[in-house]
Amino acid sequence: MSLNNTQAYDKILTIILAGGQGERLYPLTKDRAKPAVPFGGIYRIIDFTLSNCLNSGLRKIVVLTQYKSFSLDKHLRLGWNIFNNELSEYIEQIPPQQRISDQWYQGTADAVYQNIYTLEKEQPEMVLILSGDHIYKMDYRSMALFHLENKADLTIACMEVPLNEGKRFGVIITDEENRIVGFHEKPSEPIPSPHNPETALVSMGIYLFNTTTLVKAIIDDAKQDTNHDFGKNIIPEMIHSKRVYAYPFADGTNNNPNYWRDIGTLDAYWEANMDLVQESPEFDLYDKDWPIRTHQEQNPPAKTTFKKTLPEERTDMILNSIVSGGCIISGAKVEGCVLSPDVRVDTNSEIYDSIIMESVRIGENVKIRKAIIDKSVNIPDYMSIGYNREEDSKHFTVTDSGITVVRKEMHLI
Amino acid sequence: MKTILLVEDDKNQRLLYEQELRHEGYEVVTASNGKEALERVQERLPDIVIMDINMPKMDGIEAMGRILGKNKEIPVIINTAYSNYKDSFMSWAADAYIVKTSDLSELKEKIKEVLAKKSKDS
Repeated sequence: MSLNNTQAYDKILTIILAGGQGERLYPLTKDRAKPAVPFGGIYRIIDFTLSNCLNSGLRKIVVLTQYKSFSLDKHLRLGWNIFNNELSEYIEQIPPQQRISDQWYQGTADAVYQNIYTLEKEQPEMVLILSGDHIYKMDYRSMALFHLENKADLTIACMEVPLNEGKRFGVIITDEENRIVGFHEKPSEPIPSPHNPETALVSMGIYLFNTTTLVKAIIDDAKQDTNHDFGKNIIPEMIHSKRVYAYPFADGTNNNPNYWRDIGTLDAYWEANMDLVQESPEFDLYDKDWPIRTHQEQNPPAKTTFKKTLPEERTDMILNSIVSGGCIISGAKVEGCVLSPDVRVDTNSEIYDSIIMESVRIGENVKIRKAIIDKSVNIPDYMSIGYNREEDSKHFTVTDSGITVVRKEMHLI
Repeated sequence: MKTILLVEDDKNQRLLYEQELRHEGYEVVTASNGKEALERVQERLPDIVIMDINMPKMDGIEAMGRILGKNKEIPVIINTAYSNYKDSFMSWAADAYIVKTSDLSELKEKIKEVLAKKSKDS
């Protein structure tokens, strides 16, 4: 049995959940939905999931939005207006339409329930439900094939994580045939994986449903007082009555370790960005077999300059960093950083292990360490960020692990 | 006495159902379209709703969705002349789907069944 591009695209409707508030990513989510948060220099978080769909031949996609969706809407309009409606391909954005409820989406399952008309109109054989805030590469066709081979009603992509981290996820118990026999959402004591006692098998929040199974489940759920959440309500209920399988995640693109990150917190966000600037990163943006698409404005090439006017001559030093178009680095040191387009770093400044977003201006003799500087911030000469936690906490958000976050357009002078 | 909200746009059918169901010992409140049905529910919660689908102003499927959005515990029986609405996913939210015939015994039977299930569940 095989599933070629045309078949996958005909049979599967993809729903991307992009409505979460993203409170734990505040202040990056102050003015934008989590999937629209910039990532890796030129991307938005949702680009990774959308690129997976595109590379998997899935071209019927609806994105369910809710909070602060303007920035996301704009990004999809400018960057993802690539499908041909005349060939029945589309990416549609759907905010709560209050068609069957006068409330906003009450949970992940309710978001799909409120869009039951979309399913009805499309009548797909299967529905793939994805999150708009994960960083990974995955060929969903392999998962669909696994689903069909097992005659499953629902297939959940899963991976192994260190046992203790299982607390943050839905922990899955399977039998020898990968059929799910237990599911515990965020358990205090995760049950170890049968393959490795030091790891737990967890759900990645990627669900492939047979459409009729999904519709029945979300209707049943809608008629009960629950959290209307796939992880908390639908799946634990369904494993007893339906064929629910665990698909072992494999990065379909090469033999690298499986890379999947849930960008749920500022620390996770910072770490996933830092993963990109490693010498041989686990997550490779430069892989031509699995291109990641985005929207970019036109920018001149990045440039470094050499300033002879200094008392002691100094050259730029850029190490282990991503530098996007339009950046100018003039006699400064940048190490382990992700620079978005149109950033300036001026003479004698030193930036380490930081994420610097679009149109940030960094003056002279600035020192920045382990920080996230959101868009359009001017950092004045001689300022230090990331060196004095107490002082930073007075003006900025500082995470428990010591990442300093400067919010978008903050005035510092 | 259990209350039935009967939603039906055809006046003659509405009268027929109303009489027959009263005769069965139910209190019957009526509405002639989906919009009216929402108003009736807001005035007073019925024990069960009998819902036609093809109606002016607001159809039965949308009205059912909206009623369930606010009062998820109210059972709804779809009572329509057409069987093809079974393909509508939202119609699956109904507790029963009946295709109208001149014989009302199936409807009466379903009402009993659904009410019994509801009292058992609660």
